[in-house]
Amino acid sequence: MIQSGDTVTRRESLRQSFAAAYPIMLGYVAIGIPCGILCDSIGLNALQVLLLSALFYSGAGQFMIPNLYLASTPVASIIASVSLVNTRQMLYSASFAPECGGASKLLAFFFTATVTDESYGVNIAKFKTGDWSVGRALGVNLMSQSSWAISNVIGVLVGSLIDIPLSIASFAMTSIFICLLFTQKLTSENIIAAVMAIVGVAVCKILGLSSAAILIGAVVGVVCAMVFSSIKRRLIGKGDRL
Amino acid sequence: MSWDEFWLIFVTCAITMLACRVLPFFLLKGRELPDEARRALNLIPPAAFAALVANDIFDPAMFDAGIWPAAAVLVASLFVILVACKTGSLVWSAITGVVVYALLLLI
Repeated sequence: MIQSGDTVTRRESLRQSFAAAYPIMLGYVAIGIPCGILCDSIGLNALQVLLLSALFYSGAGQFMIPNLYLASTPVASIIASVSLVNTRQMLYSASFAPECGGASKLLAFFFTATVTDESYGVNIAKFKTGDWSVGRALGVNLMSQSSWAISNVIGVLVGSLIDIPLSIASFAMTSIFICLLFTQKLTSENIIAAVMAIVGVAVCKILGLSSAAILIGAVVGVVCAMVFSSIKRRLIGKGDRL
Repeated sequence: MSWDEFWLIFVTCAITMLACRVLPFFLLKGRELPDEARRALNLIPPAAFAALVANDIFDPAMFDAGIWPAAAVLVASLFVILVACKTGSLVWSAITGVVVYALLLLI
């Protein structure tokens, strides 16, 4: 039997998406089930959790909503805090612009609409290698999203039958971020960006600005590294003239 | 949580989330970006991952209950760094992190 070239390519690109996505998918099972259990505890049903996981699709946000609700936070403050935490997505969105310029509007919309911290990390690393497409990146996003949504619904359905210690499960995600951080290029700009981002997050948390800590920290890191590189280039420029 | 409260939270958060995810991309897409902007965008990954790690690990009150178990997170992170640098593998990093952290908490 002769297979058409198209099917082979499609299957191959799905395989590549899966190879990139499966670490995220496993991590999402580990934290998705506890997230579903937590949502169940404030009386959300499987349909509501499915809607949240598929259309809102935010790990941090879906943990925050039940926790804030349990602390009797007013609905308006829940919305404000959750939205503030998710503003960091703007940075990811912006940083994909130079990489995905050629994609069609519709493809680009579905791709950017399904970005998370983890899939951002995996896809941006793939795009930097030069051998990646928006289609395969969307594949990574949708596989991760399915894993997240299914795990959350399982969490609601089984309720507290399974006991996953959350601090240990969520360390899987922390480990993924550590790996993404330490596989960045070791340029002096990158090191300054990372160190100053850490300082920025720590200062925000000490000042009690936890919900904006990631966004502010990351922006502080980028700004400091930009200042450093412009000073460096000015010094090198002077050196040339001497 | 009532359905009314749910709809309000769900719809508002989903819309702000979608805006944050989609708008910056479409505002920048297809434009010839100045060199400075391009360099700033390239600095987002290291800054964002460092911020995410710091946000997970650092808590001003982490040592209030004594050095252990707070230091377990830091020790487990060191193991993850070693594995990440050696293998570059997300899965091995995640498995190492979870196993080492769980074992340290058992001690």
